[in-house]
Amino acid sequence: MSDRLLVPVLLALSLSVVAAPAWSHKLKVFVTAEGTRLVGYAYFIPGGRPRQVAVTVTDADGKVLAATATDDEGHFQIEAKRRIDHHITVGGGDGHVATYTVRAEELPDSLSPSPSISLSQSEGRERLPPSSSAPLLQAGQASGPSPIAAVSPALSASNTDWRVFIDQSIARQIRPLREQINAYQEKIWWHDVLGGIGYILGLGGLAFGLAERRRQRDASPSTVAGRNPS
Amino acid sequence: MAHIPDGVLSAPVLVAGAALSLVGCAYGLQQLAAERIPQVALLSAVLFVAALVHFPVGPSSVHLMLNGLAGVLLGWAAFPAILVALLLQAVLFGFGGLVVLGVNAMNMALPAVLCRALFVALFRSGNRRRTIIAAGLAGGIGVMLTALLVALALALSGQEFVAAAKLIIFTHIPVAVIESIFSAAVIDLLLRVKPEFLNFTGMKEEYP
Repeated sequence: MSDRLLVPVLLALSLSVVAAPAWSHKLKVFVTAEGTRLVGYAYFIPGGRPRQVAVTVTDADGKVLAATATDDEGHFQIEAKRRIDHHITVGGGDGHVATYTVRAEELPDSLSPSPSISLSQSEGRERLPPSSSAPLLQAGQASGPSPIAAVSPALSASNTDWRVFIDQSIARQIRPLREQINAYQEKIWWHDVLGGIGYILGLGGLAFGLAERRRQRDASPSTVAGRNPS
Repeated sequence: MAHIPDGVLSAPVLVAGAALSLVGCAYGLQQLAAERIPQVALLSAVLFVAALVHFPVGPSSVHLMLNGLAGVLLGWAAFPAILVALLLQAVLFGFGGLVVLGVNAMNMALPAVLCRALFVALFRSGNRRRTIIAAGLAGGIGVMLTALLVALALALSGQEFVAAAKLIIFTHIPVAVIESIFSAAVIDLLLRVKPEFLNFTGMKEEYP
């Protein structure tokens, strides 16, 4: 029997060798918040990066907040405008889809959860009398593209600036750690391949054993019946 | 991309795929002799590993399927072999999904069975060149039929998938070429080394 199975065994082994440097099917995406920027990249397991693939950012309700595309290395950047959960979807349009969620807590406090009012604006109102025209001007600036840059010199020493700085440095520090976890997941891939082959062979053995037992059970009454008349 | 993920297809397509796969598996298992179970298991393992061999084509990445080869070697038993391979790929790697398992299995196994019929029809014992051509055709047509079925399943589920469906057919042409050559080589080798591996009635004893 082992002789009969030699060819497929060799076939399976040669294929698994070929599989080593190959591309895999699973698309994954990894994103970190660096200040208000969502920086990330998409990649295939165990290797390869999708080139010029659409990246869409949606909120919890599925409303599209921003759209971009990966560069040739699979990297992309998106500016977060609000402090809400950002669902980043990378999809090639051919069924490869990967999503990653950047939680609102990862984004700096300087962003506000609502689209119109930002945090620096509300802080300005608390500190200065509402009748003054200066905070209103600041509020107008704060709703501009970058809340960090829009913080006026009067507020530069405030908590907001420090929070942004701390968020950014923590994001930078834990990024290698998170990448390491992702790399570790890719390593498990090989264990899964071997495990899968083992499952299939085990299932085949089980089916063969059960079929053999049934055949023996079917055979035994007939031999008894065959013996009785003689 | 023979692995359609969960949450893409519409309910009627899912139900139809699951029903056809169930019937195919039941028939395949009923036809299966105990002596051939190890063969089916080994080919299932080959299919399981083959789908992990990926290479980039255009903006996408495609993988080997080998369903044409599996069909020629297993006939209806390709159904359970493919189902088991796809189930483990879904569980271990997240390729495809559990809800769409029936559709994915049907997309691969139905062409496999058709390829077997095509191969048997074209095969003439003792004619090596004809055998190679038949095996090559079976390997290539298996892939293209699967791509067609995947595209059809996507297109039936919504208008927005029509572009993806076209892309799938296009990107699988190189896969079909590779599998055509691979299937021809494997079947030629098997018929010379282990002709009983393809136990069609009345062909093994005459083959040189």
